[in-house]
Amino acid sequence: MFKKVLIANRGEIALRINRAAHELGVQTVAIFSEADRQSQHVRFADEAYCVGPGPVMRSYLNIPNIISAALISGADAIHPGYGFLAENARFAEIARDHGLVFIGPTPTVISSMGDKATARRLMAEAGVPTTPGSDIVASVDDARAVVEKIGYPVLLKATAGGGGKGMRAVYAADELETAFATAQAEAEASFKDGRMYVEKLIIQPRHIEVQVLGDEHGNVVHLGERDCSIQKPSHQKLIEEAPAPVLPEAVRERLHATAIAACRAVNYTNAGTLEFLVSGEQVYFMEMNTRIQVEHPVTEMVYGVDLVKEQIRIAAGEPLTVTQAELHPSGHAIEVRVNAEDPEHNFAPAAGTLGRVEFPGGPGVRVDTHVYGGATIPPYYDSMIAKIIAHGATREAAIARMERALSETRIEGVKTTIDFCRDVLRDPAFRAAGVGVEWLKTDFMPGRHAALPV
Amino acid sequence: MFDETIARRVRPLAEAFRDAALVRLTVHEDDFELEFRRAGGAAPVAAAPAAGETATGPANGSVPEVLTSDVVGIVRFMRPAAVEGQRLDGDRDLAFVEALGIRNPVRSRGSGTLSAVFVTDGQPVEYGQPLFAIER
Repeated sequence: MFKKVLIANRGEIALRINRAAHELGVQTVAIFSEADRQSQHVRFADEAYCVGPGPVMRSYLNIPNIISAALISGADAIHPGYGFLAENARFAEIARDHGLVFIGPTPTVISSMGDKATARRLMAEAGVPTTPGSDIVASVDDARAVVEKIGYPVLLKATAGGGGKGMRAVYAADELETAFATAQAEAEASFKDGRMYVEKLIIQPRHIEVQVLGDEHGNVVHLGERDCSIQKPSHQKLIEEAPAPVLPEAVRERLHATAIAACRAVNYTNAGTLEFLVSGEQVYFMEMNTRIQVEHPVTEMVYGVDLVKEQIRIAAGEPLTVTQAELHPSGHAIEVRVNAEDPEHNFAPAAGTLGRVEFPGGPGVRVDTHVYGGATIPPYYDSMIAKIIAHGATREAAIARMERALSETRIEGVKTTIDFCRDVLRDPAFRAAGVGVEWLKTDFMPGRHAALPV
Repeated sequence: MFDETIARRVRPLAEAFRDAALVRLTVHEDDFELEFRRAGGAAPVAAAPAAGETATGPANGSVPEVLTSDVVGIVRFMRPAAVEGQRLDGDRDLAFVEALGIRNPVRSRGSGTLSAVFVTDGQPVEYGQPLFAIER
């Protein structure tokens, strides 16, 4: 096992990794920007280094300063968390070249899965079903040629994309040129990579993803699926649950088997997630995320496995602590993302200083957060300030528990997604389960807006 | 809220200011600006300022400039190591911060008197960490 791990992240996930490391008896090194000096992830680490000013390019993406902090602190491994450098193969390679273990898959796997066009090709070769679409299209004319074959509607996607950036749905031929130009410009601005591909747009699909773990001894297991269909209009996830409700058993088993086959095909190691679109009985591979995900706690709650500890153990060369035969989901878990955002104004992020902050407790409730009363929310980073997770014996029990937990939660000083999510939990369509990824935007939000008092 | 700001942000800075040989320290953060000035003007620097400078006081120009590290690494002093109170002529290398095998020079950026040395040779330093103060 490692002696000391540097956590190359901030916020709740840095704290989450800090907890896992300490429970394994591993010392921790935090990094922070000048804007995060008072953050809890700094306070609870064994040591901490400032790596740059607030803007991420100069701090949380500052590879030389982060690697140098790892070396001078005597760390033997780096956990990248999610976002920032988590899926940066170059960073994983540089860490390795400096004798540091990167807690994640190999740089080769990160780069082939991170390039979505390559990932689709590899998965198709491994027999994993993908949505009809193209390899890289060099121009809008090439894109048009592809669309003529597969038909509208289509999704234009940036091969380096993520978080809904560099992605546009196109329903008719006259929208294609503008959509291509704007999506490509967005991808270039966000990822410095404007390469695009085209994919058939599946109507009313659900977003269902499978959690996997692979070790260096050839063991691969899945930890079931999560339904992440409750997404903001920007396609960012807002509410996630495990297991996926109202899913035909045959589809569930196909998802699990497909995920295992995909991992074996690329010799996948560490934690990963395969994202699928599910429409009726049809299953389409979307992408693989080669990192821990924001919503991993819902899986932890139903399987009783600490995924972050498994990540650290795997990277240290240890075998998985569980076999597939031992893994059975128990009950149902739901996660609500509490973002410092204004749902009434297109989820505009809100920075500022928090006033009174009270989080829920009691049986079956978990809160992963880095904020506290009086904490400052800097303008540079993601707007998520907490994740509230509720577990119950059934989906109904988990929802009831989540409603109770959210009613206990108070966050003053910024607008948040709490009340919006409470309304989602009460919605009959959400209760009935199985809504698609567009439901929130096209059904729930217009209805809620009409019902709000003027 | 205000008490917490004092306890967590202002007090550590005030202590650092008290312990350092500075006459003025200005801190700019995103939402926050703070300036400390030493009462009576003259800083307890190792070398007393020349008579003329004492008469005019620090408000008329001799405000230390603090050189900070731009990188995370190990600070290494140049030989012979600069000492507090030393007169610096022109732009000279005081130290370098070694990071990933690269030596990042710390230059005096002009003449002055070295009024404080905040680090020791071979010490790990982080981004923004004060290294030297120079009175111009």
